[in-house]
Order: sequence, then structure tokens, then C-alpha cells
Amino acid sequence: MNDEQARARFENLTLPLMKDAYNLARWLMRNEEDAQDVVQDSYVKAFRFFESFRTEGNVRAWFLRIVRNTCYDALKTRNVKERELVPEGEINDIPDAAPGPRASVVAKATIETVREAIAALPADFREIVVLRELEGLSYKEISEVAGIPLGTVMSRLSRARDQLQLSLRERKEHDDL
Amino acid sequence: MNCEECQEFIDACIDNELDAATTIAVERHLRECAACAQILEARKGLRELLGQPELAFDVPDSLRTRVLSSLPAAPAKPKERADRFRQRVVIPWFSVPMALAAVLAIVFGLALLRPGWLTGGAEDRTLAAQVIQGHIRSLLATHLLDVPSTDQHTVKPWFAGKLEFSPPVQDFAQHGFDLIGGRLDYLDRQEVAALVYRRNKHIINLFIGPSKSGHAAPVQSFSQNGYNVLHWERGGFFFWAVSDVRMDDLRAFADLEMQLL
Repeated sequence: MNDEQARARFENLTLPLMKDAYNLARWLMRNEEDAQDVVQDSYVKAFRFFESFRTEGNVRAWFLRIVRNTCYDALKTRNVKERELVPEGEINDIPDAAPGPRASVVAKATIETVREAIAALPADFREIVVLRELEGLSYKEISEVAGIPLGTVMSRLSRARDQLQLSLRERKEHDDL
Repeated sequence: MNCEECQEFIDACIDNELDAATTIAVERHLRECAACAQILEARKGLRELLGQPELAFDVPDSLRTRVLSSLPAAPAKPKERADRFRQRVVIPWFSVPMALAAVLAIVFGLALLRPGWLTGGAEDRTLAAQVIQGHIRSLLATHLLDVPSTDQHTVKPWFAGKLEFSPPVQDFAQHGFDLIGGRLDYLDRQEVAALVYRRNKHIINLFIGPSKSGHAAPVQSFSQNGYNVLHWERGGFFFWAVSDVRMDDLRAFADLEMQLL
């Protein structure tokens, strides 16, 4: 394959994924400018490693994994700021999956409220919610993108949804007061 | 199936990720158990909220252009990359004395003809010859641009992570010097940023690297085989501008560049 064909093939496969890539980056970086930088870097990286992509592989999972890792690399370099946003305790202090929060039925919520609730999730949970609920990836694809076993995908998604329901209910109660 | 098992599998069940047998077992339990059925309802409500298409962020229009212009022409093949690196750095042993002899001949020849020309050191003159070679090489090969872009905000970040310094990048299109992109190059055995400008149909290469002295240095000019070269140092960087445009034009370009730092 010559260079021109390789570039055309790369573009055909990855350009349609820009919305997925941008949204994942947007949710993980939690700001528009960083998300754009990450997406640009991810494309350059993906192009550099395009040889390593197997033809029969899942291009979406392959590419989103690059985006995800680029996000975490970028977050590491600005980790001071990030730690301020997500206190350590919050990550370890997730309520157990008691029937209470699990069963809390979420009534109507505005787009803004839902966005706030997702943005407030710890990174691990936010990532899995975005990949499953907003980007519609299968468990197997999520496992590939996030680099975690299938069983962990299942349990983490479950806990992330509990947390999100709880957070949405709290926001609703707060608004109603 | 008991409640605990049902709750363990309920998410996988609504996501259609369970095998048929477990799905049937979960569904049977849900029909019989009000508490677990309530969890299912909560999940359905959540799914509805998260399924709103308005939640997705729209991709900014500029991002696509930005991505396309930041992609190099071809994906790197590790072997080729190493070869290219070696080609640039390794100079055949016999060419060194020959190049030195040529440079000396030119220097002395010019010195005899025009004594006033010898303002710069011999070192600078050797570098000027290298700069001209670099310029010619960039025009011969298909390697003029690694990052083809007329946007200085695309070109500058492209160098980040590839060089240990961040070169000043400015478009002078309004003065007739159009920025068309940049690439990595070598000069004096170190990596430098090469910015490429177009003046009418002529190409100007501007090599930028970190200045060794750190002091500002006045402009020196060199000419050879129809190529004009200007060298100056400012703001912690050295600059080599090279082109086949007229010296007046190249000076105007250097003046623009110097106004920034």
C-alpha cells in the first residue's frame, strides 16, 4: 500500500469517529479546549501507529482507546488542577449498592442537570457511563478501550449507574427546595 | 435466582450482554420480585435521560481542519524513520574535507574580491552553506512540509513535543509572506524548526533553534549561487532565513520577524 492509499484509508476509517472521539475527550477533560487538543493529538498518534491496527480489528475501539489514553496522559500533566476538582475521598467514598439508591427512580431532569451529574462522577465511572450510555459501546468494546476485564466492566457500570441515579436525585431534591 | 444474583446481573441484562439462560432467570425473578422490579424501573428512567441526543457535544467546525492539517503525509514506518534519521545526520567522511575546501575557496575568493564581505566568522559562513543545502534539499525532496497549514496556531503547537523549544511562529500574509507550514530539520547537528513561507512563487525557509550565546546578534547576510541567506539572533533564538528571493525582500521578511521579539 502506498502512502497516499494509507492516508486515504486512515481518513476513511477514523474521520467518521471524530464525534465519538471529541465527546469522550470532552467528558474526560471536562473542557472544550483541552478536548480539542487531545483529539488532534490522538489523530496524530493513531496515524503514527496505524500500521499496528489490524484490518480485522474494531477500529472504533482501537481509536477510542488511543483517545482515552491521550486524555489520561494530558490529565496527568495537569494533575494538580484535576485533584482539586475530584477530591481523593470522593473516589473511595462511593456508597455501596444498597437497594435505596439503586431503586431511586429519576424523574425528569434538564439536559444541564444530567450533564452536571455526569461531570461530577469520578473519572472511572464517568468514562464507563460515557462509553456505554452516550457512545453505545458493547461491554467487549469498553473492555478493550478502558483496558479492564469484562467482569469489571459489568460491576463498574452497575456502580456508576447507582451513583448517577443518586446524584440526579440529590440534584432534583436540591432544586425542589 | 435470588435478589442478590438478580441485582448483579440486572445491568448486563438490560444491556443485552447476558447469555439466554441467565436472561430468562433474571426476567423470571423480576416478574416475581417487586423490589428488584423497582430497580429495573429506575434503570429505565436513567436510560431515558441519558438517551437524549442533546446530551452529545457538537464537534467544533475548526477541529476537522485542524486534525487534517496536523496529519503528516504518510504513516511512519519505524524502519524508514530510522533510516531517514541516519541519512540526515551521517555525512560521508570524504565529503567533509571537500565541503571545507569548497567553503574555504569561496571565502578566500570573495575575501580577495570584496574584503568588506567578511563580517561574519568562518563558522557562520559554513553554517550559511548548510542552510542553503537544507533549503535546496527541502525543495528537491517531497519533504517541504511536515505540517502543511497556513494557521500559525496549528503550526506552533505541532512543534510542541517534537522539539525542546517552542519556536515563534507568525504569519505575514498581509505583508506578502504567506506561512504555508513547517517541518523538522537538522542544522549543525541539532534539530531545528523549519518554517516555510511563500513570497510570490518563491519559497523561504526560516530555520529556528535555541541560541547558544543567548545574546541578540545583528543581521549578517550571505549570498551563494543565487541564494540569499540572512542570519540573526534574538529573543533566545537563532534565525536563518534562506531563499532565492531578492535580498531586499528577504530583509523585509527578516525585519517583520524581528519586530516580534
